[in-house]
Amino acid sequence: MNKLSLLACAVLIVGCGTPATYKDPSGRELVVSLDKVNIQDFATAGSQMLQSMISSPSFAKGAPVLQLGSITNDTADNFDTALLLSKLTVPLVNAGRVTLLDNDATANAARAAAGSSANVPRAEYVLKGKILEDRANAGSTRQGSFIFQLTLVEVKRGVAVWTEEKIVTKQGTKNAVGF
Amino acid sequence: MNKLLPLLALGLLAGCTTVLETGDRIERGLNPPSAVNYATTKPEGGFSTQLNDNRVGNKVELLAARKSKTEGGYTRVQFDLRNGSHLRQNLNVSFEWLAADGTVTESQPNWIATPLEPGALTTITATALKSQSAECRLRLISR
Repeated sequence: MNKLSLLACAVLIVGCGTPATYKDPSGRELVVSLDKVNIQDFATAGSQMLQSMISSPSFAKGAPVLQLGSITNDTADNFDTALLLSKLTVPLVNAGRVTLLDNDATANAARAAAGSSANVPRAEYVLKGKILEDRANAGSTRQGSFIFQLTLVEVKRGVAVWTEEKIVTKQGTKNAVGF
Repeated sequence: MNKLLPLLALGLLAGCTTVLETGDRIERGLNPPSAVNYATTKPEGGFSTQLNDNRVGNKVELLAARKSKTEGGYTRVQFDLRNGSHLRQNLNVSFEWLAADGTVTESQPNWIATPLEPGALTTITATALKSQSAECRLRLISR
């Protein structure tokens, strides 16, 4: 009986938990974390910033040549900032609204080797930014805010021609699933 | 000991199914998740709606849909929403763009949380990325 009971206990422990399932990454059943930036937060901030950026006069006509600058992650969470940038660059490039300069060392060396007289696109604008966080507590309620800041700099004049800030704030006592 | 072990097993079993999941199932059973509602601009002006969830329709009014062109010739649409209820409403919105023949040309699939205070007017602006995008289909869901 003792052995049987132990076996029953072991089976029950092994059977615990929810099996993993696939979810729509843009759906409403995603995990919402209070202490980190979730995948849907990048999508929210990115799509709002994209809408703001294409409304700026710099994007009114043609396909300006864009180079990606640095995006500083100033949060305690470790993530690749490409998660934010891709939400802007993918739709812009695919719609033909920007000419995106490849940013790796090979591309830069090729541009340098081609010289200034060659017909190689030069960056007209550089996109740079910062991601910050702010935390607050009230009793057991925790609040986490992630601030996404982007600036578009016109290379020729060295001035910012568009800048935007989007804040994603999450509040609760524990992480949850859904909106 | 013999009696204790099955009791322990029972305890484990009770703790096994997470309270959150059980609660979620009960809640969803009683109060099914909201359906998606649509508002689509028309070529001749104005808009049409497809209301699939009366819980939104009874509280939030779609007052207007204005369509214009940007300097570069891209379509821009503004939807005016009003919370006509006495409670704060948490809407989630996203949109798709349609060509003149009705095919989907581009979309913003992720939901944007749009809280609406009682009586508050909110304008949602969407600008197309592609020149062939002619009409905008706004998607609304309450939770």
